[in-house]
Amino acid sequence: MSNSDKQREGANPTIGLIGLGETGVKLVEILAMIAPDGVVAHSLDTDNRSLSRCHQSRPFLLGQAIPCGLGTGGDSALARGAVESDSDELIEILRGTDLVFVVVGMGGGTGTGAAPFLANLAKQAGALVVGVAATPFDCEGIQRCNQATGGLRDLKQVADTVFHFPNQNVVLMEGADIALHQALEIANRHLCEAVLGVSRMLLEPGMLNVSFADLQASVQGRHSLGSVMHVEASGEDRVDDAVQKLLAHPASQGGEALKNASSLLVNLSGGDVTLAEMDAVTVAISNRSPSAKLVVGVSGQGNEEALKLTVVIAHAGKLDGADRESAPPKLDPNRQTSDLGYSDPFTVPDTGSYLDLGKESDGKNRNGFAYTPPAPPADALTPECREDLIRVAAKEEPNRTKRRKIIQELLPLEIVSKGRFEESEPTIHKGEDLDQPTYIRRGVVLN
Amino acid sequence: MAETWLGNEDTVNDSQIIVGLEIGTSKVCVAVGEVGENQAVNVIGLGQAKSRGVRKGEIIDVALAEEDVRNAIVEAEQVADVEIRDVFLGVTGSHVRGFNNTGVHPVVSADREITGADIQDVIKNARAINLPTDYSVVHVIRQHFRVDGQDGVLNPEGMLGAKIEVDVHVVSGRYNRLQNPIRLVNGLHLEVNNISSSALASSLAILGMEQKELGTLVIDLGAGVTEYAVYSAGVIKHTGVLAVGGDHVSNDLAYGLKVPLARAEQIKIDHGSAVIDPEVRDRKVSLSDDSLIPGRQIDLGHMQKIMSMRLQETFELIANDIGRAGLIEYLRAGVILCGGGARIPHITRLARDVFKLPVAIGRASTVSGVKNALDEPEFATPVGLIKFGAFQANASPRRGGIGRVIRRQVAALFGR
Repeated sequence: MSNSDKQREGANPTIGLIGLGETGVKLVEILAMIAPDGVVAHSLDTDNRSLSRCHQSRPFLLGQAIPCGLGTGGDSALARGAVESDSDELIEILRGTDLVFVVVGMGGGTGTGAAPFLANLAKQAGALVVGVAATPFDCEGIQRCNQATGGLRDLKQVADTVFHFPNQNVVLMEGADIALHQALEIANRHLCEAVLGVSRMLLEPGMLNVSFADLQASVQGRHSLGSVMHVEASGEDRVDDAVQKLLAHPASQGGEALKNASSLLVNLSGGDVTLAEMDAVTVAISNRSPSAKLVVGVSGQGNEEALKLTVVIAHAGKLDGADRESAPPKLDPNRQTSDLGYSDPFTVPDTGSYLDLGKESDGKNRNGFAYTPPAPPADALTPECREDLIRVAAKEEPNRTKRRKIIQELLPLEIVSKGRFEESEPTIHKGEDLDQPTYIRRGVVLN
Repeated sequence: MAETWLGNEDTVNDSQIIVGLEIGTSKVCVAVGEVGENQAVNVIGLGQAKSRGVRKGEIIDVALAEEDVRNAIVEAEQVADVEIRDVFLGVTGSHVRGFNNTGVHPVVSADREITGADIQDVIKNARAINLPTDYSVVHVIRQHFRVDGQDGVLNPEGMLGAKIEVDVHVVSGRYNRLQNPIRLVNGLHLEVNNISSSALASSLAILGMEQKELGTLVIDLGAGVTEYAVYSAGVIKHTGVLAVGGDHVSNDLAYGLKVPLARAEQIKIDHGSAVIDPEVRDRKVSLSDDSLIPGRQIDLGHMQKIMSMRLQETFELIANDIGRAGLIEYLRAGVILCGGGARIPHITRLARDVFKLPVAIGRASTVSGVKNALDEPEFATPVGLIKFGAFQANASPRRGGIGRVIRRQVAALFGR
């Protein structure tokens, strides 16, 4: 869809699908095939080979000058350089789009490195940016996982929300005995369902509409990690079935995700949705998430037997306007920052370059972005550290205060020496150690 | 041993020597008493030694404690000019606890007259307490009898009734920890006639009949532990031990003022106060020149704040415990303080504020003898032990009084 079309279109939002990197391109190819009208798909990669397979989407080769169509070989810095060099063309592509899905497989070079920059360009172009990121299986190696985690965090800081699809969830769901191609297929299907579910929710004419404005209100400027669940059920108990499937969905984390959500967009699609069915779904969801803002939409034609239930979970991260402290990622304290930064030419600060994204507001109002170093090399990270990084990436926004509390708890406590009673049997009265000075237990400050 | 004692009683002469020994946390104290022919107790000698092997009322270093006990005994022997062969020993520690129990016994004789045997039986029933296996009974103290529900009977012998009940106060402690001081004294070739909880001994020394009738709380503020006993209507109602004492005050000061413990102890004695003196606020005292840091000053206001908080907390804990037992309303004669802690300036004022009762420092008014021993509140326990011993000696085995009950039980405790 060209830019001039947009004004005429009017009623429906323009949805852009941008696939980045090999995985992103593959996914966008699939999506473009089945996407409803009004979705424009673009495939972006640094590798000519993957772009040559594009038939449904519009291919664009990133970094014609530097990787010259040969891929980045997992070097996210190279990808960043490539995407920066092509930023003018990319802005043209993005212009006039209301909602941009940045579909990316994290962990490689192009997707990981280019996605945050591209998301920022889309943001500048005025679109609502939703990242759709798949992260690799655990067995794909620690370096790839670390890179994915770093990329996910970077993307989240720019995009309004990121729907995260860990491939590992497939293993959790289906067991490790599943064939790889099946596992990938399932992972892809989940991801595609999510994007399609959201697209349909926004584009399909319905009896009760979940509009683009609803989505915007829920996610804009939140920089949070959200998720989408899309389930289908048919038959007599299609509602119960759908709700069961919803709760069993890995993204719902056993209902936890629903509980922590700040807003929920629920779309029911299917033939002859009754009020009772709608009620059952609403009650089931709102019971598990009493505090979330719930928007329910119903769409679909009269002859469809299956009930499709799409739930978008959005978390209330801090809004852009609010003061944000950038929480430094919890890295191995022994590591020097210089090891993590870039030493290649792409770090040269340029106007509009990636590195300048956080600088425009003098550190006070950081516009939701701060420069964070990419994932450190594999050998620098212990599994615990990696866990921390993932947790930080996943929880940073919605549970900011909680996380801070945890850090507070880790501070060393003042150790009160018991002096001459150190060795003796403690005098415990109602849980108080009476051997400690009374004034300390009562918190009296001597000054 | 107990049998020997009973044998002596038949030939009791007019100057029976009774020795009370308290192995305290700050000092070991021996009091030598003489029981005259009219049962009057006269304190004739005192021996003291600084205690080094005791924490919180319990022995932590046997060798040191043994040496200190020997020194104290030797001193007492010299002062009183007697040879000490046996002692009454005060025991304490956080494991010692008191509670009330009731025994019931049906009177089976045809004429329903209550005999001495019935009284023995009901007390025996009252002693049948479910104690943890490692606990043993220190005292079973008779409070009141009830005959067919008639309350407040002091001696039911000869009365008519179908059912006789008795309330007793039981003091118990961990067997092994009670044995430690006994073994230590035995190791010095001294007999232990009997053991008594220090709280009971202190109250015996201090309280007269009238105070017991009116209702009194006796608090023994020791260095390692604080013991308390409640008397009401002439009998002991409640006892307790709190393993917090003067050592804790010194330790708090050492921590809060950042001075060595010995120095904290000295500061406590020189400048201590149980309430914060408004004049002292912001006043500084220089530590004398042997300190590591010359010219070091401490803030007297802080020091008294630390001290007063600790003491107030101690009193509050006791007040809560007494309040839970529902006895605070019965303390018409108020609170009497003894032990070394009773010498802290203004301690009565603090206790009065906490308990909202009249408070006095205890004097061993019920015995006569060495002026020094009776005037100082810290000698209440050893003097009380003499009284305890005299009381035991006086208790006639024929009447089957409390003395015999305890003696039997102690004989069992010592396994002799």
